[in-house]
Amino acid sequence: MSVESEVAHTGGTQHEHHWETSWAPLVLVAGIFMLVPIGFSGYFVYENQMMTIIGAGLGVPLILAGVAKWVQEGMSHENLVVGVSIVGLPIFIVSEIFIFLGLFASYWMMRLSAGNNWPPEGTPDINTTIPLIMTVILVSSSLTMHVAEVKLDNKDNGGFNKWLIISILLGTLFLGCTVYEYQHLIHEGFVPETNAYSSAFYSITGFHASHVFIGLATFVAVLIPALKGKTNHAFVVCASVYWHFVDVVWFFVVSQIYFW
Amino acid sequence: MSTATSTHADEGFNLKEWIFTTDHKRIGVMYLIGSIAAFAVAGMMALMMRLEQAQLGAQFIETGTDYNEWLYFHGAAMILAFLIPGLTGFAANYFLPLMIGAPDVAFPRINAFSIWLFYFAIILALISIVIPDTPDIMWTGYPPYAVTTAGNTSFYVFTVHLLGFSSILGAVNFLVTVIYMRAPGMGWNQLNVFVWTTLAAFVLQLVFIPVLAAAVTLLLFDKYLGTHFFNPAAGGDVLLYQNLFWFYSHPAVYVIFLPAVGIMFEVIATMAKNPVFNYKVCIYGGIGGIVAIGGEVWIHHLYVTGMPDWIRIGMMISTLLISVPVGLVVMSLWGTLWRAAITYNVAMMYCVAMLYLIMVGGLTGIPLAMTSLTVHLSETSFIHAHFHFIMGLFSTYAVFAAVYYWFPKMTGRMADTGMAKIGFYLNFAGINLTFWPLFIIGPQGMPRRYWNYEMFPQFEGYHEVATVGAFLTAAGVAIMIYGWIKCAISGEKAPANPWNSRSLEWTHAPNPPGPGNFTESVTVSAGWSPYDYHK
Repeated sequence: MSVESEVAHTGGTQHEHHWETSWAPLVLVAGIFMLVPIGFSGYFVYENQMMTIIGAGLGVPLILAGVAKWVQEGMSHENLVVGVSIVGLPIFIVSEIFIFLGLFASYWMMRLSAGNNWPPEGTPDINTTIPLIMTVILVSSSLTMHVAEVKLDNKDNGGFNKWLIISILLGTLFLGCTVYEYQHLIHEGFVPETNAYSSAFYSITGFHASHVFIGLATFVAVLIPALKGKTNHAFVVCASVYWHFVDVVWFFVVSQIYFW
Repeated sequence: MSTATSTHADEGFNLKEWIFTTDHKRIGVMYLIGSIAAFAVAGMMALMMRLEQAQLGAQFIETGTDYNEWLYFHGAAMILAFLIPGLTGFAANYFLPLMIGAPDVAFPRINAFSIWLFYFAIILALISIVIPDTPDIMWTGYPPYAVTTAGNTSFYVFTVHLLGFSSILGAVNFLVTVIYMRAPGMGWNQLNVFVWTTLAAFVLQLVFIPVLAAAVTLLLFDKYLGTHFFNPAAGGDVLLYQNLFWFYSHPAVYVIFLPAVGIMFEVIATMAKNPVFNYKVCIYGGIGGIVAIGGEVWIHHLYVTGMPDWIRIGMMISTLLISVPVGLVVMSLWGTLWRAAITYNVAMMYCVAMLYLIMVGGLTGIPLAMTSLTVHLSETSFIHAHFHFIMGLFSTYAVFAAVYYWFPKMTGRMADTGMAKIGFYLNFAGINLTFWPLFIIGPQGMPRRYWNYEMFPQFEGYHEVATVGAFLTAAGVAIMIYGWIKCAISGEKAPANPWNSRSLEWTHAPNPPGPGNFTESVTVSAGWSPYDYHK
């Protein structure tokens, strides 16, 4: 057959003899399922303490076990195509950009239709010094993460660990500032229910903070094996690119939410 | 030592190997089983609604809310848990890596993560029909009702989240797979049309699902955390939700339509033994055009909810414009059949029915695109019949055609039996009996979504016919699924390449393919094409 002659067979290097398996994805999904839909509904919908405790109590350990197993496998397994995760992450970030766009579009629509009645009644003076300090912290953490990457490229594992820990500390400080700011505002009576601005304020800054949290969790997942001298270059690059992305989003959050 | 568990491939069934599998073929089969199960339950809901509407007045309904709950589950499950996972889950997972000569997808563990997100979403959807506060917000979840209802909106939101996350990760996975894992030598113009359409569908998923995720998240916040995004009294905007929702949900039509068309091309080219007519125009003009315009037409779902005229007219133009790329694709489908000695197997019979569905569904879409006509046709059973033809039935038939066409590949056995043909004819007769009456009574004033139409007694006869049609369809589907199970166990053994296709999944992989797909890695030459029938 003509097709056969045109499609050549080359060496049998890719032939695999067994079905690949991993329990990490299933356990991770089960954990997410227990924590988010069951835990959230237990707390907010049914106001049932037992359901919340079961959801979160099963969910969190399952998630941790799934992530730990996945990271362990990822560190010791070669991808089918080396280095594709470095391409996969930016593609994923495209969808992250669109979810932030969706949130900002909602905010802009409310903001523009309000005209001059902005900020709506019930909004206290929002302190603009804290977000500036937070900007400095987050940008510094991006820089320290970059230094960590350079250290790793120079095979300086000790230096990598040190700068990674500094980045984690800066990220934690950023989240600490968020918690401080929220406490302060809630104390002044500015809660999500207050008005349209408070809705957008807490949704957008909270959604961004959750991304900072995921970035920090990824750093911790990089750090734990790194302390034992094991690093995976693609994993480090992905964690770092994600962190820079979260940093860039923060500029939009600050300029739109605090200074417009 | 490898930390991932690797077990040796044994003959026979090993449950652990299936549950923990990261293999794209087994994940594909799991998508098929899950989506057919969702199809069956959502189909039951359709039958209950048809039975309720069969005659004037209440048949067996207790409150109107029951009808809303069936409508909720039917719509949400058919679109999100059957069509999207059946096409971009099952068909893409099983066949796309085989078509490009790849041993698996780029990220097999992320693929396993996607399938389990899908299964847990189905579990959540099933839980939500047995809880006392079943969601009753249809598949659209419009506020303010979705915020004020006593139903559990949060389960709807989390079902969308789980499925959306699953699809986004699938999109990342398949985009990287097609870009980096094509067999050495395989250029972009040598890809199967199905690979192109799947790629296009995943681009749409990647960009638009996040906006839906944002919309339903804000719904959740409004209902349970007290925010005011959709509350006009506090500075929010109800139409904001509809815009965000349709910004995803119109492109979602193409997410379903495109892989369905791709399956049609595979079947039609193989059964006609013709190369795809106008391949490059179809890919770059047709499929590319749909992706380019598909995101700019969503306002046509909001024609009657209050939009400034200049937006309506702009969106009318873009909506009508999309018939140009769709027309190019349809022209390629018909052109591929030109002067062919067509083999009519069951897969091809479904594809011929699809040519009819796309014709009727497409032509009935034109009046709906025009603002002046849509004001009258919107919210009538005409629109209901239109989207069932072009989207529901067309894409459902694509899933069925895919199963029949690739059944020998998946099981090593044939499913083309006399029973399968009877199933097809029953099904096809049934859908026409169901939806033609609705096309007819829509313009005469029959509203959609009414469980009781006592004010329109003149339509009772049409509804009786439609209900009979629905049960004929159900009988056809039952025969079909029974046939699949029977043939998978004891069907006639299939030859290696039963349809004499030239595509890599048939020429180079065994039936069914083992771990790693190909016994030897594949390279293709510059002159090779998956539709190489004229040499």
